[in-house]
Amino acid sequence: MMKHTWAVIIFALLLSSCLRMDSFLYNPNTDITEYKLDEFEGETEIELDNSFDLPDSTLHLFTLNSDLDGDLAEIYAVYVGDISSISQDTVILYLHGNTGHLDYYWPRIKLLANTGHKNRFGVMAIDYRGYGLSEGTPGEGALYADTDAAMKWLKENGLTADRLITYGFSMGSAPATELTANPRTLQPSKLMLESPFASDDVMIQDASGLSLPGSFVSDLEINNGDEIRKVEEPFFWIHGTDDDFLSIETHGEVVFNNYDGSYSIAHRVQGAVHNNVPFVMGYGVYLDVVLEFLERTP
Amino acid sequence: MFKRLSILVFTVLLASCNVSRVVKPLEKGEKQLSASFGGPGIVFSGIPLPMPLSSVGYAQGIDTGLTVSAGLHTTSLLFGVAQLDAGLHIQLFENKAQNFGMTAAPALNLFYDFNAGNMRTYPQIDLLGWWKYLDEKQHFFYAGGGTWVELEREKAHEQVQNHEIMPYITFGHQFNREKWSFQIEARYIGMNYRNDKLVVDYLTPFNKGTSGIYVGINRKLVK
Repeated sequence: MMKHTWAVIIFALLLSSCLRMDSFLYNPNTDITEYKLDEFEGETEIELDNSFDLPDSTLHLFTLNSDLDGDLAEIYAVYVGDISSISQDTVILYLHGNTGHLDYYWPRIKLLANTGHKNRFGVMAIDYRGYGLSEGTPGEGALYADTDAAMKWLKENGLTADRLITYGFSMGSAPATELTANPRTLQPSKLMLESPFASDDVMIQDASGLSLPGSFVSDLEINNGDEIRKVEEPFFWIHGTDDDFLSIETHGEVVFNNYDGSYSIAHRVQGAVHNNVPFVMGYGVYLDVVLEFLERTP
Repeated sequence: MFKRLSILVFTVLLASCNVSRVVKPLEKGEKQLSASFGGPGIVFSGIPLPMPLSSVGYAQGIDTGLTVSAGLHTTSLLFGVAQLDAGLHIQLFENKAQNFGMTAAPALNLFYDFNAGNMRTYPQIDLLGWWKYLDEKQHFFYAGGGTWVELEREKAHEQVQNHEIMPYITFGHQFNREKWSFQIEARYIGMNYRNDKLVVDYLTPFNKGTSGIYVGINRKLVK
């Protein structure tokens, strides 16, 4: 009888403390004591020459308060542009991937701030909870709360929904899609996704070769493949044909094909892998296609 | 990006996740407990290692040349997934003069996810040839192949499941003592699957499938 009791207890403990792979989604770097932006000497996502440098007066590093169901955290943000003219400017909210911190993505943020010409568009980016110097722990809810905190700040500084564009790269495609499909503070007017993933179901099915549900190892509810169906706003998708991490066929094409909104444009970049799309495309060509989409009137 | 972290490294907690549970059918009435550890090889943070998959099993000789077995996959259980297998091990023939034989092993793999209530079923068939090279000690090499069968025709987001089987080839050796036996087994799994565009870095010299290494320990019980 005692044996049976212990067996039941152990089994219940096993079930109640299940391992989940959710935390493996996040790969933050917190080994910094300050953001260095242009002076950062570590590995960055892409490399830019001096021609993309921006006036120091347009670089603004600050903190935001993010509220995740009452769990407050101070997160870091960078705004590139003139804060006093946000009430007239169009702003790209760049939502980075799962690696590193803002310094790692800083060249990409600068690159976007060169769209059209220097500082033609405002560009904002944040470090999600647990990334860089931002407080807290990474998590799916945190991605959405932190992104919404950025939108609140933009709104407080005069941005209106018709001039907000969300740009999500890889993991950043989750908050970009979610907050465009299910807006909170602002309804973005356009959605741009680079190398997005469809869902954890696809990740697991790709990895296993079998039709396994994502729930076998993860509690993630990120589902860009389905959420994109709710998006009516114009949609820009760009993905490397040789993406060696999130396959263009099983992830990107699914997201793109499930979009049924007002306008969509796809850029399948031959030979590009997961994180070198702008480089393979050529920065000039990349900025041209971004500009073309941004300037397109509904 | 996500790369290098090998997100969801345990996603292959399923196919081919234990040593061949019974290579040579047990004697009639013979019973055996077993444990298996190992799995498909991945490169995790630059280090090649097998996935730490584990299972325990039970087998019983029903008749001459016919054994039944069942297993519980303990790593899956830690993820809240009840993964069970049950199968038959049928001696197709045995050449006692030459000390070799062949076994067929149809099985069924069942999964139930306590988190979301999802279920999956995968039939499996193995065909193994064995050769006892030292008759008095009963050690033997074995080799063969098998496959899991995919019953679902649709994947996530209404995508077509084009892969109908998950084949593998197996090479192993079993050291037999009076009551205990030990197995070491290598597998090449999923040679029909491309592996170069995945979140997991599988360990293989090719751009298809993955290799795996497994060890097993068996304890025969008194008849």
